[in-house]
Amino acid sequence: MDFTFNEDQLLLQQATRDFLEGECTPEWVRASWESDTGRDPAFWKRLAEIGVPGLLVPEAHGGLGLDETDWVLLLEEVGRAALAEPVVATAVAAAALAELDDPAPAAEWLPRVAAGDARLAMGHAASPFVADAHVADRLLLPADGALHLLPQSAVSLEAQPSNDGSQRLYRATFAASSATRAADGARAAAILDAALDRGALACAAQALGVADRLISLAVEYAGQRQQFGVAIGSFQAVKHMLADVKVALEYARSHVYRASHSVARGERCRAVDVSMAKLAACEAATAAAKTSLQVHGAIGYTYEQDVHLWMKRAWSLDLAFGDPVFHRARLSSAVIDGALPAESFGYSPQGA
Amino acid sequence: MKIVVCLKQVPHSDARLDINGDGTWIQEDNLKFEINSYDTYALEEALRIKDAGEAEVVVVSIGPDRVTQALRTALGMGADRAVHVNDSAVEGSDALGIAKVLAAIVKAESPDLVVTGLMSDDGNFSAVPPMIAELCDMPSATSVLKVDGANGSLTVERELEGGAMEVVELPKPCLLAVQTGLNQVRYASLKGIMAAKKKPIDVKTAADLGVGDQVGAGAAKVRMEKVYQPPKGEGAELLEGSTDDVVGSLMNKVKELGLL
Repeated sequence: MDFTFNEDQLLLQQATRDFLEGECTPEWVRASWESDTGRDPAFWKRLAEIGVPGLLVPEAHGGLGLDETDWVLLLEEVGRAALAEPVVATAVAAAALAELDDPAPAAEWLPRVAAGDARLAMGHAASPFVADAHVADRLLLPADGALHLLPQSAVSLEAQPSNDGSQRLYRATFAASSATRAADGARAAAILDAALDRGALACAAQALGVADRLISLAVEYAGQRQQFGVAIGSFQAVKHMLADVKVALEYARSHVYRASHSVARGERCRAVDVSMAKLAACEAATAAAKTSLQVHGAIGYTYEQDVHLWMKRAWSLDLAFGDPVFHRARLSSAVIDGALPAESFGYSPQGA
Repeated sequence: MKIVVCLKQVPHSDARLDINGDGTWIQEDNLKFEINSYDTYALEEALRIKDAGEAEVVVVSIGPDRVTQALRTALGMGADRAVHVNDSAVEGSDALGIAKVLAAIVKAESPDLVVTGLMSDDGNFSAVPPMIAELCDMPSATSVLKVDGANGSLTVERELEGGAMEVVELPKPCLLAVQTGLNQVRYASLKGIMAAKKKPIDVKTAADLGVGDQVGAGAAKVRMEKVYQPPKGEGAELLEGSTDDVVGSLMNKVKELGLL
């Protein structure tokens, strides 16, 4: 079986990279930090024109109808560019809408998402503050074991502070009623589980791009900055630090790609694969942030230097859709407590 | 209206270039490639003509399997179909050999307009476009910076030396070799790339085009003798000190050399 990405998938990734390299520059990211909403509807529309918000939206609703194995490549580029638009919040909520028993909300909102005319947000117990709620046309929020679909006007939003200037978080409160209920019981739980795994996978994929960018910034700087008459990149101690985070990144990449396959196929080991990917990718990204900062030295601490744009993104991704403690606990439950049999990891013990 | 756009796939502008074993070209293994920057402007201009009215845009390229990616990208941007000359016999061709292959396609397609980039980022010869025009017996204009269409002819502005411009009118069919900055090149969309999967890529050999005996290293009159990194010059002087000191020293140097 060939697990490598095909030419079409790599072309999609390259097209996304070309667009974001040209349009989502560090100056653009800085400007978004300093704007009131941190988001730009015109830029969102341009993202829709190239197909970013509609990638997971079924073709019947005007999207590309692709799956998470394609999505992770695109999200890697989102992380590499430190794009702040609500790509993940909207995609996670859109996928959840498509999983509701009632097809009407999906029929109404998914074509708008694909066209760039709507943005969505979703809450989850593992990520209690709702990202991008302030620009969402519709919010999917959990309460009392049910999932509720609400217009923004029906939700009270309280802004929360974040280290990452790109991140806009809100405490969302609302009056739940039978009229707002979109799913309940086991159905709501299944949709929330899927949303958590999809969101955590998205964080992991973005973390790959963030780590790669941080390493690139450090390598470039190490080649320019001179000390004792030579570039600091020629010092073995600097080389080793950078090599270590590069190894961590490539190790994490395999986990993310495997998790994307598990999410796309709804594999039994989906939760474990996603938690492994989230932990490995965010560890690589936070390590890359620390190393990049150290390589840059004092100048890395300045606001004008670009390192912090990605460093703070690495930190915020580490906490979104389940922090490391949550994902380690989930792994422990599955692996040590035996919540999942060994076969679900693709392992068949001798003589079993 | 039919427009043929000639594309070349060249090493990515960020790629680290190493010279190959026999010192006659760069090492291409594991290198990342992209569409020649000049050719992206040519494609964009063709797509703008298409967007403004009825036109079929056919993209053409020569090279190994990897060239498919460049053609797929062009199809994703909006071209209608592609012709890929994938034939090892063409390897080692000089500019005339390449022009003969492209001219054979142009003759077969019989377009109203051929658009190419002014030159390639790797070869920088600027030789192929006028050769295609000559072989196809059609008028051409190089270094084109503006195109205006009329019924049976095109009015184009050409960039000359020293910032001067020249306005020429060409009857169709004709060939335009465009300069960079002619337009704002669009991005390939994900939707376009998905739609491009259904667009045809016609794979041909030099023999299919009737030029099998006119291409390749054996037919080339121009051969690459040597590719090398230019040696570091002895005359470079590094100016050191504060910004004011460096600016002052630089100004003195400029005056000493009589450049001001």
